[in-house]
Amino acid sequence: MSAIEIWVTTIGLALVTFITRNFFIVLGDAVRLPERVQHALRYAPACALTALIAPDVLAQNGAWAIGLANPKLVGALIAILTMLATRNTLATMALGMSAFFLVRALA
Amino acid sequence: MIPLHWFGGNASLAHVRRDAFIAGLWRALPSLFATGIWGIVTGVAMVKSGLSPLQAAGMSLLVFAGSAQLAALPLIVAHAPIWVVLLTALVVNLRFVIFSAALYPYLKKLPLRRRVLLGYITADFGFAVGMARWINVPAEERGAPEHIWFLVGVAGGTWFVWQVTSILGIVLGAQVPSAWGLDFATVVALLALALPMISNSPALIGAVTAGIIAVLAASLPLRLGLVAAVIAGITAAMAVDVALEKKHA
Repeated sequence: MSAIEIWVTTIGLALVTFITRNFFIVLGDAVRLPERVQHALRYAPACALTALIAPDVLAQNGAWAIGLANPKLVGALIAILTMLATRNTLATMALGMSAFFLVRALA
Repeated sequence: MIPLHWFGGNASLAHVRRDAFIAGLWRALPSLFATGIWGIVTGVAMVKSGLSPLQAAGMSLLVFAGSAQLAALPLIVAHAPIWVVLLTALVVNLRFVIFSAALYPYLKKLPLRRRVLLGYITADFGFAVGMARWINVPAEERGAPEHIWFLVGVAGGTWFVWQVTSILGIVLGAQVPSAWGLDFATVVALLALALPMISNSPALIGAVTAGIIAVLAASLPLRLGLVAAVIAGITAAMAVDVALEKKHA
C-alpha cells in the first residue's frame, strides 16, 4: 500500500473501533439487540481471526500444505497446544516462534 | 501521590474519584505485563508489515485496538482493498458492540463527550475488570463516580502501557532484519487472540468452517475468500447455536 492508503486505512480503523466501542454507549438502551444477534456478534470475531490465519498456515503457494515440513503449521500447532496448556501469551509466542524457526532451519 | 485538584474542585468528591482511580490502576497492575507483551508484539508486527515507524505510531495512537490492528496487517501486506481491511476489522471488533451495551448503565450519567472518550479507550481488559468489579451493584446505583473513576484507572493505565510498549516494539522491529521471519509473530499473536474466543461448540464449529472456507476460497480476487469464509463461519456457528437451544428447550 502507498503511504496515503495506509493513512486512509488507519483513519478507517480508528473510526471502526470508535463506532463499535461506543455503539450502545451513544445509542443508550433505546435499542435492544435480540439474543440471537448477540450470539452471532460473539461468534464473529473468532471466525474472522481463524479465516485470516488459516490460508497462511494451512496452505503454501495456493495448495494445501498439511505436514511437518510446513514451518508455519508446526509453529501454529505448538502455539495452540501451549496456549491450551498454559493460557500464557508469552510462552505461546515464544514456543510457537521457536518451533517455526526450528522447522524452517531444518527444512 | 497524585494531586487532588486533578480530580475537580469539590474536595470530598475529588477524594472519592482519586481513590477509585488509584484502585483501578492497582487492579490493572498485574495484567500490565501481559498488556506490555501485546504492545511490543503489535509494534514489531506493524513495522514488519511494511509500515514506517511514524505510520505505525500513528496507527497505535489512533486505533488502539490490538486485535483489529493485527488483523489488518496481513491484509495490508497482501494489498487487499481498503474496504476489505476495514470490514475485517469491523467483524473482529463486533464483540465491542456487546460490551458497549453492558457498559452503558455505568457511563450514562456522563456527558456524551466524556462517555465516548472513555468508551473508546475501554478495550477487552478494561471491560472484563470493570464488569467483574461491578457484578453486585444494584441497577439504580450504577454510574456513581467511584464506578466511572475505577474504569478510568483501569482503562487509562492499560492505554498508557499499551502506547509506550507499542512504541518500544516499533523501535525494536525497525532494528530486526525482515529475513528473520518475525512476520510470523503476527500469525501466532492472532492465534493467541482467537483461542480464548473459541469457548463453546458453536464458536468451534464456526471457526473451523471459516478456516476451511478461507483456504478453499483463497484464490478469489480482492480477498473475497475471506469475506465468504467469515459469512460461512458465522452461519455455521449460528446453526449449531440454534440446534443446541432447541435441544435444551
